[in-house]
Amino acid sequence: MALERVMHVEDDESIRAVAEIALTDVAGFTLLSCESGQSALAQAEAFAPQLILLDVMMPQMDGLQTLAALRQIPALAKTPVVFMTAKIQQAEKQRYLDAGAVGIIEKPFEPMELGDTLSQLYQQHSV
Amino acid sequence: MQSPVKPENETLRLQALSDAALLDTEADPRFDRLTHLVKQCLHTDIVLISLVDIERQWFKSRQGLDACETGRDISFCGHAILASDIFEVPDASLDSRFVDNPLVTGAPFIRFYAGAPLHFNGQRIGTLCIIEPHPRQLTATERQILRSFADAVEQEISDRLQEQAHSQLAASELMYRSVLEGTRIGTWQWNVQTGETIFNERWAEIVGYTLNELGPIDINTWLKLAHPDDLVESGRLLEQHFAGQSPFYDCKCRMQHKDGHWVWVHDRGRVINWTEDGKPLMMYGTHADITEQKQAEQDLKASRDQFQALVANIPGITYRCKADKDWTMLFMSGSIDPLSGYPASDFINNSIRSYASVIHPEDQSRLELDVNSAIAEKRNWLLQYRVLHKDGTTRWVEERGQAEYNEDGEVICLDGFILDITEEKSLKQQLLKLTSQLPGVVYQYQQWPDGRAAFPYASDNIKKIYGVSAEDVKHDATFLFSKMHPDDLQGLAQSIEQSANNLSVWQHQYRFFSNDSHPVWLSGSATPERMPDGSTLWHGYIEDITAKKKHYLELERLNKEYRLSQQRLDIASETAQMGFWQASLKTGELWWSPVIYQIFGLEESVVPSVALFKSTLHPDDRQLVANSEQKALETGLHDVVHRIIRPDGSIRWVHELAKMLPEEQNPQQIMVGSVQDVTERIELQQLKDQFISTVSHELRTPLTAIKGALSLLNSNKLGQAPDAMHRLLNIASSNSERLAQLINDLLDMEKLIAGKMPFDIQPLPVVAELQQAVDNLQPFAMQHHVDLVIEVSNTPIVLADALRLQQVLTNLLSNAIKFSPAGSEVKLVTQQQEDKVQIIVSDKGAGIAQEFQHRVFERFAQADGSNQRQKGGTGLGLAICKELVQQMQGSINFSSQPGVGTSFVVSLPIAGIALSADNKGVNV
Repeated sequence: MALERVMHVEDDESIRAVAEIALTDVAGFTLLSCESGQSALAQAEAFAPQLILLDVMMPQMDGLQTLAALRQIPALAKTPVVFMTAKIQQAEKQRYLDAGAVGIIEKPFEPMELGDTLSQLYQQHSV
Repeated sequence: MQSPVKPENETLRLQALSDAALLDTEADPRFDRLTHLVKQCLHTDIVLISLVDIERQWFKSRQGLDACETGRDISFCGHAILASDIFEVPDASLDSRFVDNPLVTGAPFIRFYAGAPLHFNGQRIGTLCIIEPHPRQLTATERQILRSFADAVEQEISDRLQEQAHSQLAASELMYRSVLEGTRIGTWQWNVQTGETIFNERWAEIVGYTLNELGPIDINTWLKLAHPDDLVESGRLLEQHFAGQSPFYDCKCRMQHKDGHWVWVHDRGRVINWTEDGKPLMMYGTHADITEQKQAEQDLKASRDQFQALVANIPGITYRCKADKDWTMLFMSGSIDPLSGYPASDFINNSIRSYASVIHPEDQSRLELDVNSAIAEKRNWLLQYRVLHKDGTTRWVEERGQAEYNEDGEVICLDGFILDITEEKSLKQQLLKLTSQLPGVVYQYQQWPDGRAAFPYASDNIKKIYGVSAEDVKHDATFLFSKMHPDDLQGLAQSIEQSANNLSVWQHQYRFFSNDSHPVWLSGSATPERMPDGSTLWHGYIEDITAKKKHYLELERLNKEYRLSQQRLDIASETAQMGFWQASLKTGELWWSPVIYQIFGLEESVVPSVALFKSTLHPDDRQLVANSEQKALETGLHDVVHRIIRPDGSIRWVHELAKMLPEEQNPQQIMVGSVQDVTERIELQQLKDQFISTVSHELRTPLTAIKGALSLLNSNKLGQAPDAMHRLLNIASSNSERLAQLINDLLDMEKLIAGKMPFDIQPLPVVAELQQAVDNLQPFAMQHHVDLVIEVSNTPIVLADALRLQQVLTNLLSNAIKFSPAGSEVKLVTQQQEDKVQIIVSDKGAGIAQEFQHRVFERFAQADGSNQRQKGGTGLGLAICKELVQQMQGSINFSSQPGVGTSFVVSLPIAGIALSADNKGVNV
């Protein structure tokens, strides 16, 4: 099954806007854009995403905490999660992979290729 | 009547009687009971125990008779004791021996008598007899009864004696015990063979116990309490006594009191009986507490020792003598021995020689005269004279003495004190000789409160200094002040007054007109002493410093100049917080400038040492410093930045730079160095690094949005932009690219510095890596119309991280391209240098300006801003290259000639050489 429904969690409004265009207009996905972890938790189950794209550095609830909370929702327990981060240190990346992420996208990202990257990661990890 | 004869053994018999100790004693129930029984058994009127004495018979017990004794001459018993059988007279009126006996004819009118002799110690001392006023004949049974009773009486006699002996013994024991109790003496009994021991309560009390507490008691009780050091002596004394060499075992030893202290006891005892084979058996003895006595003895000994030590320590000889011509000594301390060579005992009462005999003949009459006149005037005397030593030498002594007078004012004796002053005298002689050698004058100057002044002593040189003789100023030197330089007079007077008031050392320089009108400069110094009359006496030295003064003035001027420049240097080094040190590795001598003390937070009184320096090192930096020191031994240069910990616990960063001069020019192995406190600089650097890290991350977020937006716009996916807008979008796009590059460089740099950059070191064929870099930069080179050329002589393999090597090559190539004139070529060359491979990137650009060359690898170091803006770049590229290369165990350097070009050389460790060599240049 091809990737169609993506949830994006990002506190920066500009980046959310760029990603929205990249994932809808360019990639053609159905997108739910959330401004915080709390907002994502509230809407995730209803939206039922096939893949979640999570920013790491967010106020209050960061990416790792959001991931842990989402995993508590049975329907989302196995949904692939991809992290987006400005931190590029190897040790950090490893930490995200260990937490259950299927991929990491570095900022700044290339919007024209974002949809393809997510589709590939989804194909690799959807069961 | 027939009187009884005396038996042959009468003397012995009387002795036995006396030993029986019965005569004239009180009536005794034990005997009365027996006689009473006899009376009843034999149905008789009178029963007696009669003892036959010299002239009488005395009745120890009697029944039926009032008389207590009769004359021996009329006694029946006197007959009875002559034979051992019972003596029986059946009817005295019919017996010629007794018929007219007054005892027969008168009361008690004896008709019948039977007496059984009483034996004691083998002698018949009396009888047990029965008497009746009627005739009677004893039956055999009756005789036997009488004899049996007599035996009983004999038994009682000896029993009584033994009992008496016992009670006497008991009484005397009681007496001894009371005496012992009274004297607080402990007692002991010891069975030497079995170890069984008995102590009395007092014995235990001396060591603070009760007998109960000590039990069970045996000889070990004593052994346990005795002082171990005293057991040997005690054992020796015991053996001596056992061997019969001493009448008593007599030992003073220590025993441990219950509360821990030691009690001195005096044990005295002796063996009172021996076993059959001659071994000691029972031993009795006493045990007395003599702690107080011992203490008193020790105190006495201590005070005696103290007195002897005191006398021995008195310097000189104390004496008491008669006021005669021999100075007859009554007492003299031992110190006379070293002085005269004779012991003090020689002089006491002139036993071998008189004290007068060792006095130098030339001094004898003077001594006599002086002492006698002092005695007459009742004053003390102080004399100096010579004593002749046994070895023929002469000693100078000083004697102080005084006479003791009785109530009538007559001299009893002389007491005094003699000191050996030979050395003092010879020192004085030497001093006189020495002072005459000195260029200045040695003097004593005395000044009285009334202003009078004099030189009681001055060496001959006073003539040279003040132009007067010692004699001239001996009593009055006030006139000398008139010849002082008027300008110096007041200062001189003040300095003297101050010295006199404070008794402080006087030091002054002043001018004096000796002969002509030209003054001489004098410098004096002297130590004052207050005299009993209120005057002050100085001992000092004055010299002419006219010639020196000139020199001094010159020196002073130079000094002043030197001080100024020194001050300037100090200020400079203090401002820079840079201290200097110098060390001799050969002698270990170390010198620190004041700023070093400030940097290390140490008092300047602290003596510098290598150990002290090492102790200040931050534990994490010790190895770093040690490495640099090791390197310094090889290269002669010590250059390290490290942390130190000050005594107050604060941590400072210092930059140490030191240099060792080449050995041939530097026999002392002197190393000079500087230490600069760079804490602020380091902290700023750290702050900057932290800032960059934070900012880089913060920058990435908006950049992500900008870049993403531009990328979407440029994709035309959202619609075609007009040409002008498209050009602007391109500008925005390439600049956002540059900004991204800058942030990446910043982050790289930060990671490198923090040591967080991962490296994956692999053997890499150099040529392939060069080719890849060239391929990547080909479009950029074409843009600048520059040719890229690879020239390799062989195909080495290096050990490096492919990604990072590309980063370095890209950086060096893009720099070279940027600064190359159009149409020129940039060359890539490899060379093998021992175990390194060199990659050389050369351009034909304008070269790097001389003044900038030392900062090429610094972060954000750029020749100038305009150049940078023109050429593009972050100012971090070369700094990153250097860090990357170094972290791959390589090095990077460059050579540049303005107007000719620049070559950067990267050296990396070689892993090997590839088999196929390609020697020809490759043009791409």
